[in-house]
Amino acid sequence: MNGVDLTRLRAHVGGLAASSLDAARKRALKALETDGLPSTRHEDWKYTDLADVAAISDAWLTRPHTPTATAAGDAFIDELKSAADIDWLLLRNGSIEALYAAAPEGIVTSRLSENPPPDAPTNALTALNTALIADGLVIQVDANPERPLGLLFLDDADDDRAALSQTRVDIRVAAGSAVDIVEYHASFGDSPHYSNAVLTLDLGENALARHLRVQNRGRGHSLTQRLDVALAASARFQSAAFDLGGKLTRNDLAVDLAARGAGAEFDGLYLTGEGQHMDNHTRVDHRVGPATSRQAYRGILFGRARGVWNGKAVVHEGADGTDAEQENHNLLLSEHAEIDTKPELEIYAEDVRCSHGTTVGQLDEKALFYLRSRGLSGDEARRLLVRAFAARTIEALPFSALDVHLETLLDTRLAEIKDITVSL
Amino acid sequence: MTRGLKDNTMLNIDNLHVRTGEADILKGLSLEIGAGEVHAIMGPNGSGKSTLAQAIAGHEDYDITAGRIEFDGKDIAELDPEERAREGIFLGFQYPVEIPGVNNAYLLKAALNAKRKHDGQEEIDAFEFLKLAKEKMALLGMDPQFLNRGVNEGFSGGEKKRNEILQMAVLEPRLAILDETDSGLDIDALKAVAEGVNALRSEDRAIVLVTHYQRLLDYITPDFVHVLSNGRIVHSGDKTLATELEQRGYDWVAQAAAG
Repeated sequence: MNGVDLTRLRAHVGGLAASSLDAARKRALKALETDGLPSTRHEDWKYTDLADVAAISDAWLTRPHTPTATAAGDAFIDELKSAADIDWLLLRNGSIEALYAAAPEGIVTSRLSENPPPDAPTNALTALNTALIADGLVIQVDANPERPLGLLFLDDADDDRAALSQTRVDIRVAAGSAVDIVEYHASFGDSPHYSNAVLTLDLGENALARHLRVQNRGRGHSLTQRLDVALAASARFQSAAFDLGGKLTRNDLAVDLAARGAGAEFDGLYLTGEGQHMDNHTRVDHRVGPATSRQAYRGILFGRARGVWNGKAVVHEGADGTDAEQENHNLLLSEHAEIDTKPELEIYAEDVRCSHGTTVGQLDEKALFYLRSRGLSGDEARRLLVRAFAARTIEALPFSALDVHLETLLDTRLAEIKDITVSL
Repeated sequence: MTRGLKDNTMLNIDNLHVRTGEADILKGLSLEIGAGEVHAIMGPNGSGKSTLAQAIAGHEDYDITAGRIEFDGKDIAELDPEERAREGIFLGFQYPVEIPGVNNAYLLKAALNAKRKHDGQEEIDAFEFLKLAKEKMALLGMDPQFLNRGVNEGFSGGEKKRNEILQMAVLEPRLAILDETDSGLDIDALKAVAEGVNALRSEDRAIVLVTHYQRLLDYITPDFVHVLSNGRIVHSGDKTLATELEQRGYDWVAQAAAG
């Protein structure tokens, strides 16, 4: 298998504490033995090479360990706790802990192993996750929690050994309930690190989930993440995602509109700089109509950055009344940056409204001159225009709990942009 | 025009040649503008009016191939546009640029503070700024809501021009060049714009109105009127020249200059 030694993998899975997850683990292992991790010959992985993260996984499997938490990690937890009124659940180096004293009203958490076993994995990374997780987190939302529910995925290590973490969170929102979810990925330390997160979000009839995702991991750390959202009739999913940090980041977001009146709106912003690789793959399945989906991703790429966006919408037979929109706009600020963008539409229904548009461009020179003619320096003017490009996604924030923190993060990150090439 | 004859000279343009792309647009233009004066520069389309305005403001697509532009006795050809702005040169754009995502108030404040910093003054605080901006907006008949919108985003033609004048009113430049500020304005907007410009007239400021029509000059009386044709000033006079041009067109001036 691509980079990961199967004998070690098998041995490790065999050594995990016995649990109700054993059958699922074995099944996942079998899938991995057959297919392995996808290589760049796989259409969905054409631009993203997993060799590096497979090597980290292999190194970790050779000497498995749980890293020791760091003071920087502790300080960050405190910072987040004071930044916003959010009920946090912490997933740190594979262990799960609630940071709130009392369970918020309407939220019941349990372990994956206490629940019916998860479905068979549909892809290699979910299989890797299922094979290796010690346990996962299941969150049941039965009312309208007062505060946003936070999921803090934190990896930190005080040593330089390769580290691997697998996390799994299943969120189920009962019919008619509404919940705000913050999903935050952060990491600290200098060791090579790979994290593989699997999330599912099931929305009952008329349920609403507003979702904010922030990824600001250390620059040497890689992340693959999959979120599957399933919507029942008239359920709604609203999301804004911000990818700022990390080395290699691959996000798979799959939205399943399986019933009438369901709607999904998601925005994403990736700020990809020197040495970073960010890949967003989305898939929306319109199974029945009417239902709506709208996705808008924006990318800002600078230095030797590499971005990938692939947005797919599948309108299944009979899904009449589908309204699907896909947009991806990119600002390329360096001649060394690269973006591969591809919208895909598969339509098997009659009465549908589908649109897509992608752009790749530079800063508007007319706007630059206009700002400079008002006394702003070239640097200031360029930064302001880049900020303006990002503003659309910031405006799409589904709720305001973390917006001050997020704006500070963005500004810090934007301030790192140097040597902007205006015309390529 | 002879160089630096006036004792109040602020802008002195001498034998200016400007090229953009492959085209020579200005071909030996000379013009002297003194503090306290209002000049109108008129001329047919394509005569080089906008090129002159852009060259003074420092647009890098306009190459000065010969001649000089002096502001306060200093050659400004090598200055960046922002340095010229901070020195007190303001260009009111013929086509103000829409910048979605950049807040109008933010730009106004950043522009004002860039200038204040240059002048060794402290940055204006938020309260003082808002007071100033609202005061100037009232003068121009602008809804304060415009402060919260993206720069020129979705503004009508008239609103964009008012916004240019608002920027000018807040920045209080020493030299304001207004490029076709009157084009596309209805009579109310024209009056508001004229009022904004007239309010800025003072002994230590100069205003240059670049215009195709005499209409604006009914509301802002110029001290001097120049005719630009084929890249040069071919005729200069007082305000009566504008009326004459309105009646007789531009051909006679160009012919007289050529003959």
